[in-house]
Amino acid sequence: MLIYFVIVPILLAVFLYLFPFERAARTIAILAQMGLVGASVYLFTLSRENSVVTAIGNYDDVLGIFLRADTLSAVFILLTSFIFFIAAIYSFNENKSRLFWFLLFIWEGSLIGIFLAGDFFNLFVLTEVATVTITILIMYDRNKRALYDGIIFFMVNIVVVQFYLLGLGYIYQLTGVLDLEAAGAAFQGLERSQMILPYALVMTFVALKCALLPMFSWLPKAHSTPGAPPAVSAVLSGLQIKGGVYLLIRFQAIFGDGAMPEFFLILGLTTALFGIILALVQVDFKRILACSTIAQIGLIVVAINIGNYYNYIGSLYHMVNHAVIKAALFLCAGMIVHSYGTRDITKIRGIMRQMPLVGISMILALLGIIGMPFFNGSISKYFMMYHVEGPLFWIMLLINLGTIMIGIKLSAMLFGRLEEKEKPTQDILQLISVLILGLMCFGLGVFGESVMLILFNGEFRMDWFGYLEKSAIFAASLVVGYFIFNKFIKNNPYLKTIREIELGFRGMCVTMGVFFALILLVAGI
Amino acid sequence: MGIDGIKIIELLTIAMFFVGFYGLITSKNIIKSIIFVVLIETAVIMFFLGLGYQSGALLPPIGESFNNDTMAYVSDPLPQALMITAVVIGLSTTAINIVLFITLFRKYQTANWDIIKSIKNLE
Repeated sequence: MLIYFVIVPILLAVFLYLFPFERAARTIAILAQMGLVGASVYLFTLSRENSVVTAIGNYDDVLGIFLRADTLSAVFILLTSFIFFIAAIYSFNENKSRLFWFLLFIWEGSLIGIFLAGDFFNLFVLTEVATVTITILIMYDRNKRALYDGIIFFMVNIVVVQFYLLGLGYIYQLTGVLDLEAAGAAFQGLERSQMILPYALVMTFVALKCALLPMFSWLPKAHSTPGAPPAVSAVLSGLQIKGGVYLLIRFQAIFGDGAMPEFFLILGLTTALFGIILALVQVDFKRILACSTIAQIGLIVVAINIGNYYNYIGSLYHMVNHAVIKAALFLCAGMIVHSYGTRDITKIRGIMRQMPLVGISMILALLGIIGMPFFNGSISKYFMMYHVEGPLFWIMLLINLGTIMIGIKLSAMLFGRLEEKEKPTQDILQLISVLILGLMCFGLGVFGESVMLILFNGEFRMDWFGYLEKSAIFAASLVVGYFIFNKFIKNNPYLKTIREIELGFRGMCVTMGVFFALILLVAGI
Repeated sequence: MGIDGIKIIELLTIAMFFVGFYGLITSKNIIKSIIFVVLIETAVIMFFLGLGYQSGALLPPIGESFNNDTMAYVSDPLPQALMITAVVIGLSTTAINIVLFITLFRKYQTANWDIIKSIKNLE
């Protein structure tokens, strides 16, 4: 049954490419996408009791190819089909090109495949498919900048996947299986020293996909390239990057003793801090959002690797929230950039006056990401910082302070007044999709506790006294953030030099090698 | 054949992998970068082929029945099956890479990574 989750989007893509009536084809695509959301809900209810397993070709042996959906995969599949549904609604009137719709659904199929795949080799194949489709979507309008960003993204991903393939060879040599679960069981009986090399090779790949610190440089390019359609940036930043984090969770579990949670904890912290600094110095709207993604992914990686169950669940919920928030912000950014004709945030003013509904959903999403009480970010951040103490708590607080400053920086666009211009015409479907996402940011916060109960199937009690305390901390950091932002960061000439930091292809290869050497070194000690 | 249980082909392919990687770091020309990516891919494929090799092993019995006694003397066919897929993927990614390079070259009129980066920043 699970095979249909991969096959149906791909067949749909082919159908869209060949069907002669464009508008009808797109309507069918939306309906099919709705059906896919329904199917994922059904899959989710099934997977709550037992993980759903399909053996391809009915070859039910450890050497066979399996697709597995446990609760973790099912949540991500639900999220994927939903975000793609919203992206399809958003692009309904905007993008009439067949190529776009073709690639969009191929991408969806391969992404769902990544979440379902039960063996190492299928992960490799599906990642390659996703890389190719994303590259073409990034360089969609073929301007100079987009071509450069596209080729960088493509080549970096092709190179790093070779690390993964080599690591896969070592895993096969050690365990004799390619199946994720069987390999996990086989690793139990192995010495830690035997696992170091495959672990380093595989994790280099995963860390690049998550854009962790030395290898983040492809992300702002790929996620914020001017030519890419807004829906593509939204899915890239909301979902594609979660694929990397999903692999991180899976592989850390598989390697067991060989995994190095402390290393990734520190890496996540530095990534988050660096992402925040990077986001604070940019002036390009989409680039700020892309850099803020780096910071949030860093925070998620930290919470995953603390090793506490509550923090882990909190980080999973934060991934869901971040997907909704980032999709909302990127789609809003698409509409705003389209109507203002610029991406420079110092030139965009008065969104609330010009396009009030877009402004409202942007406010909702911003409140979500900065962790305003009763919004979705606050719930997940509460659980991510649950019982975290000592210096780690303060650093996480600092990261949240930085996020608040990014929010303040973006909110400057909402108000103020620009010279009068006529109200832009807005596409009703785009407005609807943006509003749905904005309202979800609020809904996932108010009903956060029960949503988490449904999604992750466990008992999560919020300690209301602790939540109030967190709210007070939030209010304090809002004030501090506002003060620091206006006093030190706004119009600071020194920070502008950081904006130009950018690695070329060769630089990125160096960072890959450095990361690989680093992880070998740390594992060796 | 090998040193301390490590096959020579393993050492050679790892060396080839990092030679290719060194090439990626040092070459400024995009075409050269693409060639080095192919070199890395070939190294990985060779590594996998080495995995399945045992000296004196029999051919895997495809389409025939076999008993467990001879199983130990059969070389492992799975890495080769995987590598057929990897070869196909490598071929198509190289083709895409070259197409991307051609479009890039038409816009920028140069094949140098550094020059392209500086041109892009001027805009």
